Amino acid sequence: MIRMWKEIKEWIEVRIGLDELIRTQLTEYMVPRNINIFYTLGFVALAGFVVQVLTGFLLLTYYVPQPDHAFKSVQNIMANVPYGWLFRLMHVVGSNLIVVAVGCHMLSVFFMNSYKKPRELTWFVGAAMLLITLTFCLSGYLMPWSQLSYWATTIVTNLPSAFPFFGTITVKCLQGGESVSGITLGRFFALHVVVLPSLLLVLLSIHLFLVRRIGISSPPSGGSDKEKKPWTQFRHEDHPDGYPFFPHFVLKETYMVMAFFALMFFIITFMPALFLPEETTVPADPLRTPAHIKPEWYFLAPYQMLKLVPNKFIGVSLQIIMVSIFLFWPFLDTKKEDNMLKRRVLFGVFIASFIGWVVLTIWGKYS
Amino acid sequence: MRYLLSCFFVLALATAAAAATGDPVCIQCHDSDMMKPEFRKIPGEWRQSWHYQNGVSCNDCHGGDPADAAMAMSPQRGFVGTPTYQAVPEFCGKCHIGILKNYLESGHGKALKASGSGPNCVTCHGSHGIQKANIDIINDQRCTQCHTYDRARIMKQALFATEKKIRDLETALKKLSSEGMYTEKEGKALFRTEAEFRTLFHTVDVDRVKEKTDGFMQDLNDLQNKVDALFVELQSRKNFSGFLLLVFAGIGVVVFLLAKTPR
Repeated sequence: MIRMWKEIKEWIEVRIGLDELIRTQLTEYMVPRNINIFYTLGFVALAGFVVQVLTGFLLLTYYVPQPDHAFKSVQNIMANVPYGWLFRLMHVVGSNLIVVAVGCHMLSVFFMNSYKKPRELTWFVGAAMLLITLTFCLSGYLMPWSQLSYWATTIVTNLPSAFPFFGTITVKCLQGGESVSGITLGRFFALHVVVLPSLLLVLLSIHLFLVRRIGISSPPSGGSDKEKKPWTQFRHEDHPDGYPFFPHFVLKETYMVMAFFALMFFIITFMPALFLPEETTVPADPLRTPAHIKPEWYFLAPYQMLKLVPNKFIGVSLQIIMVSIFLFWPFLDTKKEDNMLKRRVLFGVFIASFIGWVVLTIWGKYS
Repeated sequence: MRYLLSCFFVLALATAAAAATGDPVCIQCHDSDMMKPEFRKIPGEWRQSWHYQNGVSCNDCHGGDPADAAMAMSPQRGFVGTPTYQAVPEFCGKCHIGILKNYLESGHGKALKASGSGPNCVTCHGSHGIQKANIDIINDQRCTQCHTYDRARIMKQALFATEKKIRDLETALKKLSSEGMYTEKEGKALFRTEAEFRTLFHTVDVDRVKEKTDGFMQDLNDLQNKVDALFVELQSRKNFSGFLLLVFAGIGVVVFLLAKTPR
């Protein structure tokens, strides 16, 4: 058995140079000594996406993307398919936790100023991935064809109607008609299982390539070994006095991923209906508008903001401007100082925005 | 002319508002100041009602066109308006067919037919603000408006156990639903049994109620067994995901300790 294993290893070694790959990419690849757990959040989100792909594939084998069957097929998955309930809950809870993980990842990158030169593109691709993640959630929301799915999608797909001319065309394009219907379900299904995964895979590859090509950034505080040389030409950011990626950083990533899974199963065990309110147990009825339809928690702040701004056009435009600032932030922030605590104004704006987001979310929830 | 124009304007406005809100056009006029106070309170009562919660709208009872203000009260579109006192049971019985049959055979129904002054549906249930029926409708205050409470009390006692069972099952189904379990099939079975049980109320026949209650209890006990099985399933799901929680938390702790071990 051992001999056979050695032969297989040698066979691979001769063809792809596995030992050298492990040495250069894992055991001799150095990360900063003061690297913290916030650096693992990207990997945690990646692990979450893998779970979504696997559970999504299992759900796909029983789900029927047609208005007459969608709700019943989801019920069937929950009630009759062996462990169907587990895969569906993992998919639902996982999607929400990914938003948390990606959000925290972006926050930590912002707070540690890791988006600055030469990592502007890494930020841009990462921010685009957050938007793709939210689109994933939005398109997946319609799949169960429940009252909540139907009416939440109706609200969101009608948002572009705030814009003259292009708005109406966009709404028709999204809904495939005058209202949310079977055509919308088909379109969102295609988006959810083909278009978005492909897009995400491309962006993820670019993101990982940029992270490895440029090198991991150092945290701004705590005895940084960061090079202070000006960035006039390309170089890989090395950390010769750092820790090896494996096992040091891999162990950190592993226990954070385990914490992610533990949190996921905690919610499934003790709060299984946390993301499945009562309206999700009622099939969609286009003729009956429920009294209180609210979007998912991560859309509550923009939803409340739209309610507060009296003009829909101004409200939607404002949100597009905010998303654009978020996407292109590294190109707008040109100051050299990379310690957030020393940038009082930016720090103040960040804290105010964060508090504003929390307040709007709570307000949106209980309004 | 001015009156005609203003009427036309109100009707056009009501039609447009109805299209925007999805409410029947009736509401727009009944909510407006031009309506008498006793008619103006109707939309508010209806919005608080069990009918409203179940999508039963003005035109479902009164007929008329709910989408066109000009035809909302047209007899050609089946508008009935307020039924006479004696016509109320037939009016409600368009939907509540089983209840109407039992009511007409009951002492209440016979009294209404004979004297025109017996209790009709509205006497016990009210009209626009109608709430979900339950055993508390049978009470001293209401029944003694016409007769003594003695026989009504005996019937209420006979219904009590079944009513309690229905309430308990409703609570159990709500609990299961809040824990993420699908209970549509059981919910429909309970609704069916409850609806049949409600028709029994309307016979106001103590002996018949006593005789039939056993059958309902048997149906409810069968349903209870199914609900119990769902609770067992829920518990096994919780146990399994709880086990996975412990596995991942355990691996996490071991890896954390390993990461903190100096090398």
